[in-house]
Amino acid sequence: MIDVDGLAKSFGKRGEVHAVAGVTFDAPAGAITGLLGPNGAGKTTLLRMLATLVVPDAGRATIGGLDIVRDRYALRERIGVLSDARGLYLRLTARENIRYYGALHGLAGGALDARVEGLIAALGLDAIADRRAQGFSQGERMKVAIARALVHDPMTILLDEPTNGLDIMSVRALRDQLRSLRGEGKCLLFSSHVMQEVAALCDRIVILAQGRIVAAGTAAELMAQAGTPTLEDAFVALIGSGEGLAA
Amino acid sequence: MHASRGSAIARVATIVRKELVDMFRDRRTAMVTLLSAIAAGPIFLMLIFNLIANQADRARDLTLPVVGREHAPALAAFLERQEVTLTEAPADYEARLKSGDLDVVLVIDPRFARDVGDGKQATVRLVYDRSRDRARPLIDQAESLLRAYSRLWGQQRLVLRGIAASVASPLTIEDVDLATPQQSGALVLFLVAYYGLFASVMGGMAVSLDSTAGERERQSLEPLLTTPARPAEIVAGKWLAACAFNALVVLLTLTGFYLTLSFAPLPPVGVPFLFGAREFLRFLVVLVPMILLLPAVLLYVGSRARAYKEAQANVSVLLFVVSLLPVVQLFLQRKEPEWISLVPVSGQYSLLNVALRGEALPLAQLALSYVVPLALAFVALAAVARLISRESILAGK
Repeated sequence: MIDVDGLAKSFGKRGEVHAVAGVTFDAPAGAITGLLGPNGAGKTTLLRMLATLVVPDAGRATIGGLDIVRDRYALRERIGVLSDARGLYLRLTARENIRYYGALHGLAGGALDARVEGLIAALGLDAIADRRAQGFSQGERMKVAIARALVHDPMTILLDEPTNGLDIMSVRALRDQLRSLRGEGKCLLFSSHVMQEVAALCDRIVILAQGRIVAAGTAAELMAQAGTPTLEDAFVALIGSGEGLAA
Repeated sequence: MHASRGSAIARVATIVRKELVDMFRDRRTAMVTLLSAIAAGPIFLMLIFNLIANQADRARDLTLPVVGREHAPALAAFLERQEVTLTEAPADYEARLKSGDLDVVLVIDPRFARDVGDGKQATVRLVYDRSRDRARPLIDQAESLLRAYSRLWGQQRLVLRGIAASVASPLTIEDVDLATPQQSGALVLFLVAYYGLFASVMGGMAVSLDSTAGERERQSLEPLLTTPARPAEIVAGKWLAACAFNALVVLLTLTGFYLTLSFAPLPPVGVPFLFGAREFLRFLVVLVPMILLLPAVLLYVGSRARAYKEAQANVSVLLFVVSLLPVVQLFLQRKEPEWISLVPVSGQYSLLNVALRGEALPLAQLALSYVVPLALAFVALAAVARLISRESILAGK
């Protein structure tokens, strides 16, 4: 599980841009937690801190009991990250892209083969497994990037706007994949600025605006808290404006 | 949880392997780099050798157009005995000299015979355009033949008067050119050393930039940083891969030289050096620090740039400096100072020249030439590792 306590991060010469300004929440195992917020709310920075790529200015967070700063390298072996940037090596095949990350995670021999073949089958990548990534569609690239992030069978999975640029068929396939990971007892944290996306998939929703958490809970709890009949109305009411809302 | 935890060495090896596969998959770049490495040596050696051979041929078979040959039949006979072919100069010889159709023309003064009869100095003129390099050996040859004739004639007169020839020429000048056997060989010497050095500079360029600036441009750096591979391991892997490629380019270039100079039917121009297996190995030993340094520097330049094109622009400045250093050394007419061994590129260039002269490499100088490049390579690699662990590298996607 993910346990976040007062995380903060500022950018700019004098730290005048408060990207994340004291965020506290937790995301349990066996559930999909949605991080919902308009563009610029601080979702990517928050996920980068959890992915150990950015060191927080204040606060602390643990994933599976490991500290994101102190235990960063041990933690990297246990988390799977689908980051905002998700470029593949275009001259390598889908299989080689996945294998590369598996080898970097210390997998080798039969274990690596089995894991890579399992992911290729699970994500329906058989047809493109031995093609170079050069000619892949957005959806195909996304699938390979997900396989790459899952190759070491991590217990915690962080996904930054995974549905961006995907067509509806790919989005549905992705949702099925994430639900099956939840079924395996994994802890998933999923960020999006698309409310419907979060509503369709997430067990719990954390709403982030201007670097702060404005509300957290199940969809029903959020609607009750805002006193609105739909989640969309609740979202708009809770972040205080319609700004940045994407359909 | 998974049982296996990779070691740092295993991760570095994984990165090296992936980078090498990635390099050779970029077939066009790899082929262009490797083919030009193996072909460039032979091609330019052929050109240079033919140029030198042409000059030598022209100097040997001197054809001298003459104006007024009838005024000095004895001189004409002397020149013909020296295997000079005399021809009648065309009327517009001055224009033809200017245009380069003719190299040099001998003009014998119409009063030649009368002046000789009167006991005065007789006049002959050599007309040429000295600004044209190609004509120089011919001009020099014609001039020295005329002086030889003048000397011979003078000596004969002295002998007729009962005076020993040595009285009039107390000084004997013997030419001892240390740049033996032929000066023109020095140019080949420079080019072979220069090109060998250049191969070690250029060899790792495309791959170093692709694995840094290219990695950022493709947006594959951030996901790579989420793996257990530490920045230092990533840098080490990329560097070793680029060094391996660079070494391959250098090997191919030297092989090209070796095969051409050993087996190709080059015109016999008396090259003042050998390029055999021994020189091949000495070249490699001298170039090792460059093979290791340049990829490190290029990785640094590449990782500072957000895109491949940006990196290329920055690299061109570096290449300009590197390619200029040996040229400066060539034109610097003084003996090189001791500290030159410490300067990257310059130190290697002077050692390559030592190797080409067939001398053993001075070990102290060789050791010195390793110090600065290796230290710089380390600094550059540490800087790259720092750069890619900075948070701002993520923002600047």
